[in-house]
Amino acid sequence: MTNDLMLLMPLIIVGAGAILLMVASTCEKLTHELAAYGSAGIFAVAFLVQLSFCIAGNVAPYTEAFNGVLVASNFSKAAGLIILACGFFTSLSSQAYFKRNNFCSPEYYSLAAFAASGMLLLTMAQELITVFIALEIMSLAIYVLVGYDRKSVISTEAVLKYLMLGAFAGAFFVMGSAFVYGAAGSTKFVKIGQYLAAHGMLHSLAMIGGAFFIMVAFLFKAAAFPFHAWVIDVYDGAAVPVTGYMATALKTAIFAVFANFLVIDGALQQQWITFLFWISVLTMFVGNLIAIGQQSLKRMLAASGIVHSGYLLIALVAIGSKNFSGSVIAFYLAAYAAGTLGIFTALSYLGGSGEARKTFDDFKGLAKARPFSAAAISIFLLSMAGIPPTAGFMGKFYIITSAINAGEITLAVLGIVSSIISMWYYLRLIIAMYFHEAEEQFDEPAISSWAPACTFVLVLCVFAISLYPITV
Amino acid sequence: MFADGLFIVFATLAVLGAVGLVLFRHPMNGAMSFVVTLISLAGLYALLSAKLIFALQLIVYAGAIMSLIVFIIMFLNIQPDDLPQEEMKLFYVLVSAIVVCPIGLLLAKIVKSLPVHSTAIMGNKFGGVKEVGLLLFRDWLIPFEIVSILLLVSLVGAVILAGKRGTTK
Repeated sequence: MTNDLMLLMPLIIVGAGAILLMVASTCEKLTHELAAYGSAGIFAVAFLVQLSFCIAGNVAPYTEAFNGVLVASNFSKAAGLIILACGFFTSLSSQAYFKRNNFCSPEYYSLAAFAASGMLLLTMAQELITVFIALEIMSLAIYVLVGYDRKSVISTEAVLKYLMLGAFAGAFFVMGSAFVYGAAGSTKFVKIGQYLAAHGMLHSLAMIGGAFFIMVAFLFKAAAFPFHAWVIDVYDGAAVPVTGYMATALKTAIFAVFANFLVIDGALQQQWITFLFWISVLTMFVGNLIAIGQQSLKRMLAASGIVHSGYLLIALVAIGSKNFSGSVIAFYLAAYAAGTLGIFTALSYLGGSGEARKTFDDFKGLAKARPFSAAAISIFLLSMAGIPPTAGFMGKFYIITSAINAGEITLAVLGIVSSIISMWYYLRLIIAMYFHEAEEQFDEPAISSWAPACTFVLVLCVFAISLYPITV
Repeated sequence: MFADGLFIVFATLAVLGAVGLVLFRHPMNGAMSFVVTLISLAGLYALLSAKLIFALQLIVYAGAIMSLIVFIIMFLNIQPDDLPQEEMKLFYVLVSAIVVCPIGLLLAKIVKSLPVHSTAIMGNKFGGVKEVGLLLFRDWLIPFEIVSILLLVSLVGAVILAGKRGTTK
């Protein structure tokens, strides 16, 4: 058991680091490269601190003062580790990216750290108002990162779309919280759970409507089926490292809080299980359909992110509220984060200035010009497609096993079918890289950039994560 | 009964103000109509005996924030020619109103199902500065403190998106 301060230490380090970077960015001497190393250091320290403590069960730090609003568990710890690792790799890949793209300022890294502090809060929050504020901290920082390149039209379009639709999702969340409060008389997860245990889900219409609106907000942020339309344009408009950050860290935070919300009480999840079933099926297949039609790599990865949200929704359908550990979800998120971040890190130093290289055809013949990078990208793609012995395979294996254990055989089968369809667009890039001749010269990699090293580390992660044992 | 009448007046005004905000063509008219909404909301808070929130709503929202918005609109000096042509506006508003109608009906049903709240004045210093402050710092410490991070993020974000930016170092 560790003391309460240690549980909050990663959050404090990232938050204080963000403020420090913000203040330091006013100093002329701080180049954005230094800021990149600084933020990477902050994330690394926070990661190690997060790794160092061990928790048994649910621990609410400072119960007297914080009133049980934040609760740390092994699930929140794992989600926090993924988020901090994503922040670390994003900082270093941004450093490589901004060698070729000239719109960075040191505040970029401060905002990335602010976003991470919001995400860490989300993983621990056990109270609806705190969830809302943490959600907005994260979203506001990400909006600005998406629109960082003010000269680019598609980036401006992306931020406008995301801001407008994100504001709707936030409004839905607030309305849902108000209704849940109206029914249960509290916004704390524990109290809502007690209410549900006493009265059941269908006792009050306000509870049903409130839970529905809250779920709509989460599904929007996770880019699940009816609310997936924004993803493609927003991911396409953002800078490559930001897209990678959004696809991994943000998704981790959202699914962590979504799972925490669903396991408030068995009744809550049971009532919505059919709804979530259809959402997850439609999310997988619509995502696949969109991804198959894409020519641009970033748009394909955005669409494949929708598909992966679908797999995670399978895991949400299958979780039991008794003895919830969330290990399957955390494992899948880690596996997906390693693969996706790897590709985006590779893209951030291969993309060229102004992201000139973006379609499948632009990567023809990469295997000859850059054998190591091409091999790394292939491994990431195979992991996302779910080929053994990568982490992606084990993640899908655990999700499908847990679905079968929960009696959701149809969902498990549909998950496998969707994963086979997804091979189409993942293998397409591998074929382009290996079996076609290059049409143009690839640029030399930028000097003194850590991104290639990060790619290598992430390849190791893809294999290492698959060896980590969990119980389904 | 007088309070119930007041509630209906304020609620209608709040909704009308919001509708006006959406429908008015010139941003200044929209802002003025928004003021109506904010003031009626203050009235609703007063009906709930939330004294402090009532005062804050008037001073901060209807006062400070609105004057900031109005200042910005005047600063931009928007002429009728600057506004976009919106010929299909009424059509779009009508169609989207029909589309969101089921959600509206659901909302109405939910609101009806909520327990009836009396508009009688709460005693026991409910809603006073001291009581709200105690609640904020005792029960809601974490949300209250993390709002400061939220404000900081939006401040930095606004400066980055709108401010002058030097060339990359």
